[in-house]
Amino acid sequence: MAQQSTAYVPSGRMTGARKRAIREAMTGYLFISPATILLTVFGLFPLFYAFYISLHRWRIKKGPFLGIKNYTKALGDPIDIFWFLVGVALLFLAWFIWRNMVKEHRAWAMALKFLAVIILIVGGWAAIAGFGRMVDSGDRQMFESFVITVFYAVGVVPLQLAGALLLAVMLYQNIKGKDWYRMIYFMPYVTITVASAGVFRAIFSRRPESIANQIFGLLGVPPQKWLQEPHGIWDLIFGHFGVNLKQVLLGWGLDPFLVFILLGPSLALISIMMYNLWVFIGYDAVIFLAGLGSIPSDLYEAAEIDGANRWQIFRHVTLPLLSPTIYFLTVITVMGVFKAINHVLVMREPAARGTVDTASLYIFDQFYLSTRFGYASAIAMVLFVVILLLTFVQNRIAQRRVFYG
Amino acid sequence: MASSTSTIQSKTGAQMAEKQPVSFWHRYKVGRILLYLALTFGAIVAVTPFVYMILGSLLTRGEMMLRKLWPRDPIAGLQNYVQAWNEANFNEYFVNSVLITTITIVGMLVVCVLAAYAFARIKFPGRDVIFGVFLATMMIPETILLIPNFLIVNRLDKLMRPIGLPWLNNWPSLTIPFMASVFAIFLLRQFFTTIPDELWDAARIDGAGHVRFMVQVVLPLSKAVLFTVIIFQFIGSWNALVWPLVVTSKPDWRPIAVGLYSFISEAGPELQLMLAGAVITTAPVLILYFFTQKQFTEGIATTGLKG
Repeated sequence: MAQQSTAYVPSGRMTGARKRAIREAMTGYLFISPATILLTVFGLFPLFYAFYISLHRWRIKKGPFLGIKNYTKALGDPIDIFWFLVGVALLFLAWFIWRNMVKEHRAWAMALKFLAVIILIVGGWAAIAGFGRMVDSGDRQMFESFVITVFYAVGVVPLQLAGALLLAVMLYQNIKGKDWYRMIYFMPYVTITVASAGVFRAIFSRRPESIANQIFGLLGVPPQKWLQEPHGIWDLIFGHFGVNLKQVLLGWGLDPFLVFILLGPSLALISIMMYNLWVFIGYDAVIFLAGLGSIPSDLYEAAEIDGANRWQIFRHVTLPLLSPTIYFLTVITVMGVFKAINHVLVMREPAARGTVDTASLYIFDQFYLSTRFGYASAIAMVLFVVILLLTFVQNRIAQRRVFYG
Repeated sequence: MASSTSTIQSKTGAQMAEKQPVSFWHRYKVGRILLYLALTFGAIVAVTPFVYMILGSLLTRGEMMLRKLWPRDPIAGLQNYVQAWNEANFNEYFVNSVLITTITIVGMLVVCVLAAYAFARIKFPGRDVIFGVFLATMMIPETILLIPNFLIVNRLDKLMRPIGLPWLNNWPSLTIPFMASVFAIFLLRQFFTTIPDELWDAARIDGAGHVRFMVQVVLPLSKAVLFTVIIFQFIGSWNALVWPLVVTSKPDWRPIAVGLYSFISEAGPELQLMLAGAVITTAPVLILYFFTQKQFTEGIATTGLKG
């Protein structure tokens, strides 16, 4: 640090201004030093430390160096991982060729497009086959925890954002008692997670008189086991009509892991997703409301003069100008799903047989209950890479779609 | 209680709509009534779990067995709170949470205000790069930091135990790692940059340095944003579950969220006691929220805009 500040000072006499600049810089470093030290120790260094831990056998105490063994235990044989990665790379290559050739109409372009399709098929096959073998030779439960996380994200993100946007647009109208509504919608977010999740445990209990069973009973749904129901949602729906979907799919010779995906999220997970919606829709709505408030009203007036109807105004004025907020909330929500742990910890029942264990919770279990520090760190690193890739993809999409006014 | 007020609100709203000239968006009263119905429905959904929690916490054991929803004698039901308070050992947990939250907030304010001030108003080489690294650490999920941080805290515990400052089962592990909140630094810096330079020039002519300017001019101007930052930290500390669970093995320093969690998962209490426990843990935050809800929601709303 000191070296950097002297870089400002060439050799020779120090003028008053230089002295002052150095003093200023030293004050700056002094001011940020507590935060820098704390962040380095507890925020940045642990990332590298986690990688170091993941390369060892580490059960409470450090054991021998294992290299990538923890990773192959989780992800499967290196050769399978290799084929999976080759497949993914080919898919990207096919997409790249196709994108560049799509506007060309000459013969060689057609040939390249044909090539892209072949690469797509080969790549897709390699990726799927490689992944299937990874699941077989790796930690099936870990893969399931990632599938559960994806279920969670796919179920929650669109519903949460759409619901919040709807609420915000309704609240943005000229209505009485706006502050009251806003205050009430925001209450779930403020509540202590353990407490509200505990209450939801009672609401989604398997008793026939539980609140969930009474409300869904009004809609004609027979009493369910909710948080204690490990069966997938499609399995339950087909089962209601007397079809054992799981047996049918297994009878077709499908891989059990594929069947697990096809049967959908368990009702227990769906209960937790409903809790998640309850907590965050109001929070997202308050942020959307602020976003709506920042859209200048003359844009609406201009659109009105141009004869746009309400839907057109919403579609072509409100939505584009709201896109930074939508992007921000999407990122926050996806990150939130990957971090989801506290409420799942409270709401999971042994009877749900691990169908609600998100990736974060699986890591926590490996670490806290099984004391496999090395292995848990390896999965955590995998999760980190997945989150980085996801953020990268979201960024790419945002660059094209988000409009910063 | 809150749900009934909201229905009254919506009714008066609908009546008003009949008298007043209608706005641009809603030419028809039907639309307006539907709007209020939808908003009220949302409010009922938001509030029902709270109502259920409070009503259920006041049921007697017999009423709970008979699956009643409304307590016949709410005063007698208050007995549940006494029982839950004693059985779950909330006395100790409550004090712990207050201490942990206070220490964290005070430390966080000192650390983050200093850093944010430097990033906003002091020129030094590498400032923007360092700030960028700060922001980047926000992208690292806590799940990944959990295990290494546990080992780091263990090491610090061994190092500092001889000088009388053990980290495990003690306040440092529960507070110090949270004092450097990048989110708080970001928000504060954002606000500090909007303070006009003329104020700084005037202060310098009066012979004030950075510290005096910060304490006497910047901080009094930043009450709203400081409040937002404090609220966020308050909720975060009061809510923390996994980290306190990992770094404490005895109830000595366990915060209330962990207390409630172990009450639910280990004691397997009767439902009315669990609900009473939930009310006890939530009450302080909700009370704070009701008194400050305007600054509260607005503070949070602005964070979304800047992000």
